[in-house]
Amino acid sequence: MLLFLFLPVAFLPPGDTYGAESKKATTIDELAAMYDSSKCKECHENIYNDWEKSIHARSIFGTGRTAATIKTTVTVGLMGWKYSGVKKPEDVQVKHLMICAKCHLPQLAEATDDVAREIVKNVFVYTDPDASDEARNKAIAMLSKVNINCLICHQRNAIIHKWVDGFPEKNTVYGFKDGEHADLAHPKMKASPIMDESILCGQCHGLGPNFELENPSQCATLYASYNMAYRAEGGQEKCQECHMKKSKLGHNMQSYRDPGMAKAAVDFKVEAMGYQWRDGSRMVPQAIVKVEMINRAGHGIPDG
Amino acid sequence: MTARDSKGNEVFKQSKIYMPIPLQLGRGDKMGRGPYEKSGMLRDTSLPPNRPVNESFDIPFPAEFSKEGGKDITTILDYDMTVDVELTYLPFGTKESGQFTWQKVTKKVSIEKGGV
Repeated sequence: MLLFLFLPVAFLPPGDTYGAESKKATTIDELAAMYDSSKCKECHENIYNDWEKSIHARSIFGTGRTAATIKTTVTVGLMGWKYSGVKKPEDVQVKHLMICAKCHLPQLAEATDDVAREIVKNVFVYTDPDASDEARNKAIAMLSKVNINCLICHQRNAIIHKWVDGFPEKNTVYGFKDGEHADLAHPKMKASPIMDESILCGQCHGLGPNFELENPSQCATLYASYNMAYRAEGGQEKCQECHMKKSKLGHNMQSYRDPGMAKAAVDFKVEAMGYQWRDGSRMVPQAIVKVEMINRAGHGIPDG
Repeated sequence: MTARDSKGNEVFKQSKIYMPIPLQLGRGDKMGRGPYEKSGMLRDTSLPPNRPVNESFDIPFPAEFSKEGGKDITTILDYDMTVDVELTYLPFGTKESGQFTWQKVTKKVSIEKGGV
């Protein structure tokens, strides 16, 4: 009887998870709709407003620099390499753009090559010096539709060890608590075991070459530095403690662009003294300037 | 680091770069630049976490050196200097277009007039 009662529950098919095959987005708009987090603002307005100020909110445009680097990745990298299969921007596929998108837009893995090409097309318009302001602004708007939003950190990438913790479920948001969640599309709330751990950030803020790619790239190496130079030497703090809590920046996670973060990151002491040195019988007036810098961040500065 | 005499003329300038130096395609001895061609590390001169990095600069005061009757004579042209020590960050572009000032300290340095 017990077996009879348990079986239907135990063998219920799992909900829609990230491990399962699902329909791919064919346009930037479709991908944006798949990862639409605008409804989060209804209940989490302050957090959402903070996030909107962050670079995460424009992760493939950045300050313009990210978009420009995507362009050079295509023109200097992909189009310059003999075996990439890319002779012109229109040849770019998802697998090529994952060089950048692994971190700047991981959900691109759930899109078709048409989306990769649409991104590239908009990047080229943005970086074209002959483009009109209207065309350029339109390109920026398109590139800003997809980003690292609530559903990336609190769902898609909220679980790393999927064989241990299960695949992230698409009807669930991951934070610190289990329970119900007042959103029809995401009625469940689950605690992620890594929500306040550095490894959550380390997924993108880098270890070194991304060997899983056919042609590895290396953008950030912060998580490697955090592990090997900070934790290994006794450092205890997590990324979230400095970039979100102590800084009071919350979801507007910043680094050197925030004056408070910049000031807290490096102790900078300068001492200077004038004196006259005797070089044999010659007096030489000179100054000695001593500089001491101590990086108080949990990783090397700068990253790269 | 820049030193200026009491009239504001630059008399000394020196800079040092701190950064991870990525290895191009994980082979050979060349630095890679774009993320698409970086795969490894050649050197790392970035500021490491929680370890002091010390620098020392010797800056000559403006002076002229001559000999009179076989004796060395030093004529000091300026007894005061202003030293600007600036830690900047260049994430992208050129010093002119993309540089960000992280920390800046200005010190006045003097040498004694007269004496034995």
